[in-house]
Amino acid sequence: MKLSAFVLAVGLLLGPHALHAAPLSIELQPAAANPAAPQMGDNLTFHSVIHNDGAGPVDGLIAWISLVQVDKGKEQPVDLEDWSAHKAVTAAALLPGKAIETDWPMRLIKAGHYRVAISAASRTGTHLTTSAFVDFTVRQKPVVESRRVLPVAFGIPLLLCVALLWRRPRRGTSSG
Amino acid sequence: MSATNLIARKEAGELLLSPRGLAWLTAVAVALSAFALLLVSNTELSLLDNAQVVYDMAGIVTGLGSLLGLVVGIDAVAGERERGCLVPLLLAPASRSAILLGKLGGVAIAWAVMYALSLPYLWAVGSTGQNMADGMLVCGLLGTPIVLGFGFFGMGLGCWTRSSRTALLTGIVALLVAASPLLLGPGLRQSAVGAMFDAVNPFSAAVNAYDAVIIDSQTITAQGAHILVAAAWIVLTLVFARSGFAKVTR
Repeated sequence: MKLSAFVLAVGLLLGPHALHAAPLSIELQPAAANPAAPQMGDNLTFHSVIHNDGAGPVDGLIAWISLVQVDKGKEQPVDLEDWSAHKAVTAAALLPGKAIETDWPMRLIKAGHYRVAISAASRTGTHLTTSAFVDFTVRQKPVVESRRVLPVAFGIPLLLCVALLWRRPRRGTSSG
Repeated sequence: MSATNLIARKEAGELLLSPRGLAWLTAVAVALSAFALLLVSNTELSLLDNAQVVYDMAGIVTGLGSLLGLVVGIDAVAGERERGCLVPLLLAPASRSAILLGKLGGVAIAWAVMYALSLPYLWAVGSTGQNMADGMLVCGLLGTPIVLGFGFFGMGLGCWTRSSRTALLTGIVALLVAASPLLLGPGLRQSAVGAMFDAVNPFSAAVNAYDAVIIDSQTITAQGAHILVAAAWIVLTLVFARSGFAKVTR
């Protein structure tokens, strides 16, 4: 009696999830060609495989990439505006047993510790399906170097000032 | 030498060789230098991604070029009229269209000089990153119709308004509104009004093309919609300048 009550209780607890469990599963892996210690400006690619493990087709599938920064005191979702132009993939239907493979390129804009994940939703599914996180760290890189900027920033206005001063006396001499 | 070439060379000579023109170019160079120095002196800005910096610099070059084109365009008609030089020019043995083309050529040469001046700056801030060459190319390709359009717009304003001061004020206000995407960024596109403004604003077309090519590594050939908006802008402003010039010479 106690055992059957326990089984019933577990069934009631898990039942709603089991009934509405999304038939999708997502695997996410970093590409083998990714640099081992990436720094700002590098490109990374993540490879995802979205499987339909259910018995029926999944209609209106949309999958998207999410990125969060997890540095202490800087925990935040990252706006992918400059990081990636490839932010989502859609499919009219994903048949049972079939999979969608996608490469997600990303350019590293800012240093820090990040976690990336792929999420998927369908037109009628009640639950969001997400992949496991893939973690990566972006090293800082000073990109604007003073040894290139300073000669240009001071040199060009200086040259134009010299040209300006050179033109003034000549005009004065010729008119006077 | 044709009258058109002669007038264009005279206009360009005033920009390249006169103290007034050189002062203008020096002011432009100082503005670009100030931005470049800001990038190296500020720790946070110096860590900006190379592509982001080239994109910012391309936007500033286009903005300054538009301002230069606007002023040169207004000066070409309204300035000449106030200095009393326009009537003698119109009495010269040259057709009206040759005079107009010469003036337009002056604006084009002013932009060419300004663009050449900006290339070392683009190299200085972006040579270690991606898409610098493409950035220079797209800045020339999209920046040219935008800047020339503002030059023609300035000429038209100079023709249609009574004083160069009024033309300048109107032109600068129009330029500030058009260049607002530089200040507001992509956030502008999030509202319906902003998206509509973004779709028809030639300055937005240039800035969005810079974003796509320099930051998102898209090809220049994929920027057809942006190029179309920029081309429409230059055609419209050319018509505006032509009709204004026709009114002045009537």
